[in-house]
Formats: sequence, C-alpha cells, structure tokens
Amino acid sequence: MLLKKIAFALANTAAALTALYIAFARDLERPYWAVFTVFIVANPISGAVRSKGVFRFLGTFAGVAVSLLLIPPLVQEPVLLCLAISLWVGLCLYLSLLDRTPRSYAFLLAGYTATIVGLAVVNAPETIFDTSVSRLEEISLGIVCAAIAHSVFFPQNVLEELNEKIAATIERFSTWLSGAVTRSERPEDAETQEQLASVVTELHVLYTQVAFETSDVPRADRVMRILQDRLTALLPALSGLQQAFTALVEQGSVRAPIVAALEGVARSARSVAEATQGPSHRLPLDSSLRAELAAASAQSRAGESLDWRALLESTLVTHLNELIVALEDCQFLAAALKDPWTKLPPHLEREALLPGRRILRGDRGLAFLSACAAAGGTLIACVLWIEGSWPEGGVAAQFAAIGCSLFATFDNPAKVIRAAVVGILVALPFAALYEFAIFPQIDGFASLALVLSPALLLFSFMQTSEKLEGAGLVIAIGFSGGLALQSSYSPNFSEFVNSSTAEVVGLLVAAATNLIFRTIDPAWNALRISKAGWRSVSRLAAGWEIDSRRWALEMFDRVGLVTSRLRDAERVARLARWDLDGLRDLRVGLNVAVVRSVGRRLGSPSGPVLEEALGAVSRMYRCRLHGRLEEKDVERAIDLGITTLGKVPPTREVRDGLVALTSLRLDLTPMGSQYRTPLPPA
Amino acid sequence: MIGEISIGGVFVPQLLLVAVLAFTVSLCVRWALRTVRFYRFVWHAGLFDVALFVVLLWCIAMITAVPMPYGARVS
Repeated sequence: MLLKKIAFALANTAAALTALYIAFARDLERPYWAVFTVFIVANPISGAVRSKGVFRFLGTFAGVAVSLLLIPPLVQEPVLLCLAISLWVGLCLYLSLLDRTPRSYAFLLAGYTATIVGLAVVNAPETIFDTSVSRLEEISLGIVCAAIAHSVFFPQNVLEELNEKIAATIERFSTWLSGAVTRSERPEDAETQEQLASVVTELHVLYTQVAFETSDVPRADRVMRILQDRLTALLPALSGLQQAFTALVEQGSVRAPIVAALEGVARSARSVAEATQGPSHRLPLDSSLRAELAAASAQSRAGESLDWRALLESTLVTHLNELIVALEDCQFLAAALKDPWTKLPPHLEREALLPGRRILRGDRGLAFLSACAAAGGTLIACVLWIEGSWPEGGVAAQFAAIGCSLFATFDNPAKVIRAAVVGILVALPFAALYEFAIFPQIDGFASLALVLSPALLLFSFMQTSEKLEGAGLVIAIGFSGGLALQSSYSPNFSEFVNSSTAEVVGLLVAAATNLIFRTIDPAWNALRISKAGWRSVSRLAAGWEIDSRRWALEMFDRVGLVTSRLRDAERVARLARWDLDGLRDLRVGLNVAVVRSVGRRLGSPSGPVLEEALGAVSRMYRCRLHGRLEEKDVERAIDLGITTLGKVPPTREVRDGLVALTSLRLDLTPMGSQYRTPLPPA
Repeated sequence: MIGEISIGGVFVPQLLLVAVLAFTVSLCVRWALRTVRFYRFVWHAGLFDVALFVVLLWCIAMITAVPMPYGARVS
C-alpha cells in the first residue's frame, strides 16, 4: 500500500515537473497554471484522472469562450461586466449541481474560468485573446502530462475499486441478512440500510469513469445497470419480509415450514458471506434450501382462502423468494462485471435489452441557493474591488467564485471554505520561503526541479491519504499560486502579499455568502427530500410516472440521502411528527407498480377496483405532504381490492397482486390492523 | 507539418489539428481492438494506448506533410 502511494507521488511529481519544463521551454505565460492542473486532476485511479482531465478541458474551453464573448463589449461598463460575470458563475454552478456525476466538473469550471481569465485582463483588454489562449494551453498541458503519467506509471483502474466495493457490499448484506431474516426490524438495521443505499449511488458515479479507463478495462454498462437494479431490490425485499414476519408473530406462532425456510435462507446467506471473503467467489444456493422454499410456498398456497394470516404467509414467502433471487443475481452480475463475455442467464439477458438510462436527480432548490451564494459572493468581491480601487481586487473576485463553486456540494460549505483559508495560510510561508530565500540562490531548470521536488512530493503524497486529500490539494494550489513561477525570476514582496491577501479575502467573502444562503438544517433538508419522495410516490400511484425502474433508483438514492442526514436521535425526534421512512415509501412505490401492471392485465371488473385503490394511495401521499394522515380511505380501498382479487381464479399474476396489496396494507395502515371482508357499499 | 492553418483568422498549428485527428482515430482503433478482445495480449494497456497514439500521430503527420511544401501556410 505504502509502495503504491510512493509510486503515485513520484509519478505525480514527474508529471508536474514535466509540465513545468515544457511550459518554460515553450515560453508560456503562466507555467504555474499547468503545475496546479496536474495536482487538481491527480488521482491514483487512471480513469478518474482522464475523466477529470477531459471535463476540465471542456469546462475551460467554454469558460474562455464566454470571457472572450463578454469582456470586449462590456469592458467599459464595469458594473454590467461584474453583473454578467457573476450571473454566469451562478448559472454554471446551478447546472453543475444538477448533475451529480463527474461531468458536473465541466460546468463548474466553465463558470469560474470566465472570472479567472476575464477579470485578470480588464486593465488591459487587448490582451484577452493571448491570456485565453495561454490559459487553455497550460491547462491542456497539465492535463496531458498528468493523464500520461498516471496511465503509464503504475496505473490502478476503477474496476478494481468497483469490484472491491461490490464484493464488500454483498458480503455486508449477506452477513446482515443471516441475522435479520429471522426477526423483526430493529433500530440498528438503519446503519446497514444507509450504507447499502449510498453504495448504489456511489457505484453509479464510479462507473461513469470506466468509459475513460485504459482500454484493457472491460466495458459492461448493461451488467452494471442490472446490478444496480438488483442491489436496489435487496433492501425493500428484506424489510418487507421483516414486516410480514412481525405481523405474523403478532398473529400467534409462525408455522414450521416457514421457519425452516427462513432459517435455510439465513444459513445460505452466511455461507455466501463466507465465500466472498475467501478466494472462491460464486456459490450457488444449495438445493435443500430450494426444496424448503417450495414447501413453504406450497403450504402458504394450500389455504387459498382469504384470511389475513394466509395473505401474510404468502407475502413473506414471496419476499423471501425475491430476496434469494436478487442475491443470487447480484453474485452472478458481480462476477460478470469482471468478464463481460460471460453469458447471462435468459432472464437477465432479457432485462439487459431493455432500454433506459439511469440519471441521478439533482436537488433544484439547493442548487438555486448555491447559485445565489456564488453569484452574490462574486458580486460582493467585485464591489469591493471597484469601490475600493483595489488593484488586486480581481483576484478576490476570482477566489470568491472558486470558493463558492468548488465547495458547493458539501452540506455546510462555509465550514469547508474556512478550512481552505487555513490551508492557504499554511501554504503561504512555504511559498514565501521558496520565493525569497531559495530562488535567489538557484539558476536554471535543473536546480529549480531539485528544490521544488521535495515540496511537490510531499503534496502528492498527501493526496493519497483520504484524510489529507483536500488539505494537500489546497496547499498545493496555494503554494504554486503563491510562487507564480514565470520564465524569469522577479521577486516582488508587495505583490506577493497583496495577491495573497486578495485570495484570502475572496474566500472569506465566499464563506460569508454561503453562511447566509447555504446554512441549512440537515433535518429540514431531510424533510425536503422526503417530501419530494412523497410527491413522486403520489405521482407514481396516480399513473403519471411510468418508468418504475428508474423511479426505484431515484427513490433509493433518496433513502440514502435521508438516512445519512437522520443519524442523530435529536433530529429524528424533531421530525417525529412527519413519520419519515424512505424505505417504506420505496416499498409502497414498488408495490404500486406491481398492482398497476396486474390491474392492467386483468382488465374489467377487477382492474378499476385496483386503480381505485392506487388512487387512494396517491391521495394519501398528497395529504401526507401537508402533514395530515388519512388512513381510513386507503384501508377500505385496499381491502376492497383484496376481496375482488380473491374472487378471480388464482393465477400467478393474481397472487402477485394479492401480495403487493397485502404489503401496501402493512405499510399504510396502523400497526395491528387486519384485513377483513369489507361490507358492500350501500 | 510545421505550417499553420488559419481558421477564422486564428492561426492554428497544423500539428495540433493532426494531433486531434490522431486522437480521434486512436479512439476508433482502441474501440475496435477492444471488441476483438485484443487487450488480453497486452501487458500494459496504458503504455500501449499512449504508444498507439504516438504511432498514429507520426503516420498522419507524414501523410499530411507530403503534399505540402515545408513551412507552407494555408489560408
């Protein structure tokens, strides 16, 4: 591990020095831009370097183009110019926050590059073209050096990390499953649920980088897509099962074949967990378990009469089956991801052919607030600059834009920006030491490289550790910006102090505007995300949303976002009135989709009854948005649906419909309420 | 290949255009090699990709340099 880190640091330092050398040799305007580009795109994973490089290039290109467009006509009107630039920064930040994949970096950069290039040249607008070209050249130079260094010297690929993550997830889930399947849901389950929910989003984001990997990494988009779907299915299946189990226990004892099946699943989950730890990977579920499952489902089907207990039993067995199939598929797909020429079994092959792209939904409200903070911060710094006739004020505006943009994805950006200020303050003495004590003593590139390499190695090494990554990056940028290496050495202490002060002031302005716009109570945020979820459940139940797979992934993402914000008990208590449970909403949505498809296929007379039940669910969720709970209506509608389905000859579809309705009833009605045949409407 | 090409009044070094072209071609070639599972035989894919790009760059530069006299400017 240490060896890998040192290799990375060496490769990165080599890339930075090469970029510096080429920039000097070609007499480029600001070689330090190339140097810190190397640090910005650096990452031990070669795919990540390349994807970030591509997006950085595209973003810079767009930003430079916009500043070429804006500066010449507006340079005589400073107020208009500042307004235009700040709005552009805000707009770009908004777009970038809506996209949660690495692509967002391109938008981010398009925004603040315009400030870097545009505001640096307002005193000499005739140089805008040269500055733009040199910015683009140096960024490209840095990207090319970093990309080559990190794909030729000791590259690691995304897929390794991805596979490790998937294996760890399956193992964790199986371990949990082996304990959790034979009991009701407990509060400590929340942690595992949260981890699983966030893992699916992480996998999605990581996988976007595979397209940029070196060519030996297999591309298997379809496999990844199904794997995500299956991972998403695990959690609702298990929690639905636990719910049915709890309800059954309430009814009295659980019958022996069902207990045997549950224990069989627990046993096989344990063996799956052990298998993923060891060298051998796949382990087909043993046949005795299948026999037990079949026996249990035959048992539950034998009493086809519509009593609540029988309904619960068949729900439990169905979820158990789903769980086993999904877990098996996950294992298979995880292996298929490594070798995309694996033949998929027919049911997965069919699914792979379905079209559909997975998109992570961004949070518009929050993105808008961040955009306001960024536009406001840039504008305030511009006002300080113009009103104060402060020659370095442009740098402050640049850093305000950079600070607001780079840290906008955090829950509390102001805090992170303050940390960045500290990082820059740490870097400055370093830079001063080099600039005023060491550089006067040296001569030529070789000695420059020699004196720089210890610092560059140190920063690169810091980037390999998760804790110091951010600090390393900030210090490296502060350091190379502070040195402002140019072809000839011209030390100027007052300029050094002035521009450093401007950097710090810009970041402080950014922190202030973020404090105003973006100080958000996590509990309130969780409530907002949940409400968006309820709205989408209601839309799904009303039939306005069609693609239930995409819906499930989005909802699952929300589960992760909400649970991660509800970690401490105090927040949960504050939101108790709202009864937040993302997993329940996800289950409701999945069951709604099943009921809808069953209703469509059965047609009249049971179809309309089922639609009516879904309408009631939709209305209930709309009421929930306003903080009211109306359960009576739903209960009655669902019971009516169950009764109607009970009269139809029991095909597979009907059974699925019954199970889905039972699960809906468990989720939406108060604890302990039972199905009974409703009185016919008078 | 030393010449410059004017695009809308901006002089772009011909080498840059050739490099962009070579990169596009190398993307296609890499895709093709991946579909025939050629990379099973490659020891170091990153190095191979870079080398492939350099070879393509040289080839394309040689081909495009022939019809043009040394240092010619196309406007």
